[in-house]
Amino acid sequence: MIYILEDTINGILMGSIYGLTALGLTVIFGVLKVINFAHGSLLMVGMYAAYWTVALTGIHPYLAIFIVAPFMFAFGYYLQDIVIKPIFKAEKDVREPITVIIVTTGLWYILDNLTLLVFGPQYRNLPDNPLRGKMLEIGPMLISVPKLFGFVMAILTAAAIYWFFQKSRMGRAIRATSLDREAASLMGINQYKIYNVAFGIGTAAAGIAAVTLVPFYNVFPSVGVLFDIKGFIIVVLGGLGSIGGAILGGIIIGLIESIGPQFMTATWTEAIVYGLFLVFLFVKPSGLFGAKYDW
Amino acid sequence: MKTVTSRLSIRRFFQAATLFCAVLMLASPLQAKDTVVKVGNIIPLSGPSASVGLQGKQARELAVEEINAAGGIKSLGGAKLEMFYADSESKPERGVAEAERFINTEKVHILTGCWNSAVTYPTTAVAERYGIPFIVPVSVSDKITEQGFKTVFRIAAKDSWWTRDQFAFLKDIKTEFSAPVKKLAFVYENGDWGTGFAGQWKKLAEAGGYEVVMDEPYPSTATDLSPVVQKIRRSGADVLMLVSNAADAILLTNTLAEYKVKLKAIIASGGGHADPSFLKAAGKNAQYLFDIVEWETDVNKSGAKETNDKYKAKYGQNLTGEAVDAYVAMYVLKDALERAASTDPAKIRDALAATKLNSGPGMIVGYDAVEFDQTGQNKHASLVMVQINDMGAGLERITVWPKNARRSGYTPVFPMP
Repeated sequence: MIYILEDTINGILMGSIYGLTALGLTVIFGVLKVINFAHGSLLMVGMYAAYWTVALTGIHPYLAIFIVAPFMFAFGYYLQDIVIKPIFKAEKDVREPITVIIVTTGLWYILDNLTLLVFGPQYRNLPDNPLRGKMLEIGPMLISVPKLFGFVMAILTAAAIYWFFQKSRMGRAIRATSLDREAASLMGINQYKIYNVAFGIGTAAAGIAAVTLVPFYNVFPSVGVLFDIKGFIIVVLGGLGSIGGAILGGIIIGLIESIGPQFMTATWTEAIVYGLFLVFLFVKPSGLFGAKYDW
Repeated sequence: MKTVTSRLSIRRFFQAATLFCAVLMLASPLQAKDTVVKVGNIIPLSGPSASVGLQGKQARELAVEEINAAGGIKSLGGAKLEMFYADSESKPERGVAEAERFINTEKVHILTGCWNSAVTYPTTAVAERYGIPFIVPVSVSDKITEQGFKTVFRIAAKDSWWTRDQFAFLKDIKTEFSAPVKKLAFVYENGDWGTGFAGQWKKLAEAGGYEVVMDEPYPSTATDLSPVVQKIRRSGADVLMLVSNAADAILLTNTLAEYKVKLKAIIASGGGHADPSFLKAAGKNAQYLFDIVEWETDVNKSGAKETNDKYKAKYGQNLTGEAVDAYVAMYVLKDALERAASTDPAKIRDALAATKLNSGPGMIVGYDAVEFDQTGQNKHASLVMVQINDMGAGLERITVWPKNARRSGYTPVFPMP
């Protein structure tokens, strides 16, 4: 019984971190209506940024968030502005611009291979960070402190983005654009600026996820791919564009991964995750919280 | 006036360029007479095994530089080895496609690769079909040399030898320290390599009278291995046996330490645990781990230290067992080419089959000769067991088994404190 409880807690913690990694994906899709295949690479860039910030300055790994999140916002903002926007403009009459998806795929390869060239294929982690291997012991249960922090960060980040979208003027403009980009433009909203901001927010969310991962995970050029695939499944489960859905979708995956192996081999849990993905696509393609109808 | 001069200069430029091209065209047939031996190498240069692929590439390059600098292949009039590299991305279909491209487009004379057994297995079939000799420095899956192929030659020991030696080591260390070991846990990556090892472990465990309390394949791409570690912790195993790639080896080792899993010993199977970034990234958590490898920097062979120093000066890392296999493979190839005195793949193949290499700069391996049996397996390949420990100079890998190869003055730590 205690085992189940321990696994459930680990599943929720790790799952919320998965949700956090997928948060940016869902934000970007919600606004741009583009599946960003480079999202895992953005996470990877964030992990390298966090790694080098901590390794070079020696600050507490979590303080890196104040450097990495703004850096990633700027990175995403200008990536969208310089690389993706021209393609968008070329396809502005299309609702879901396919070429943009292809461009993000290209970005994924470029970023991953550029990192491979610059930093080499080595696996890096922060060997002496104060959080490494920290465990909370509650009776016979062990709970990882960095994962607990990841859970808190996931909830906070999701809440902050949600609040920003609901309450702030910019957030409303973003929502308006995501609902109807023509009408929003007619109301005087600069569509492309909104895209830049939304892409920046999505990338900054990946940066926050990167900061929570770096204290207990390895940094290497293809690390994004591992989280990317999970990210897609998560946003489909939660509903494309839904912020709460991403976190919940992540927790569902985390629970399957954590509790599953106690009853079967770990390989099978992957099959279950993908199976669930297919079931959702058949039964409820809009996901748990996705909009049933599309404008 | 101005336009005329510029037009003139353009014309002159073209004249000069035409002349230059003509000279080049005249010169090139002369160069083509110098034979080159084209070697196609298919290794993972990106993706999960990129780190080990890069080592293989560096080791090959070091050997080829040495061979070319020493006058190339003398029986072919000093022919140089020309290296071609293709990235398999650890994907079987990429390996197959690149082999086709190398053979049909680049017209290579010989292929080597592919490190990942899952890639090597289908890729050797392509080479066999075209009759191109294929040297496998290291891909340990048994079945690679059991396809009845005539063109496949493997330098490294195959995985049934690895598992055989792991259990032999376990028996010896148990006796040496008179510590009972009853329960074994098998945790391995779910690819060809891991499942191949596990299949043999099960047979050996049964024969040795051990109880297998856990038998767990996991995906190497796992982002969280704490569920698997929890399972190990609850299984009450004495000894944990692992097959891992680099990222998961680091993750497992760190997670095992986080959850304070009590084990008498951890026995790994090279691969990720032998990756140079493993020690750096796992740090103290890796202490006392046993790992089976083909080669260690403290091996007592002439030339080994010098080659390692040269490699380290050039690439900043020590040679690994995998890198040494790639290094040796180039010297095996050189030896065969000298005897074949031809770039005809069939002749190279026959020369490789008759290999009996026991001296020269390539022989820095732990065993004494390279000689292929009927199936193309190097008969003499053998393995050593190392323990990771800190002897005052930071964590290092120390040879502990076979006992006659043990570093003098070192006593293995068993069971783990």
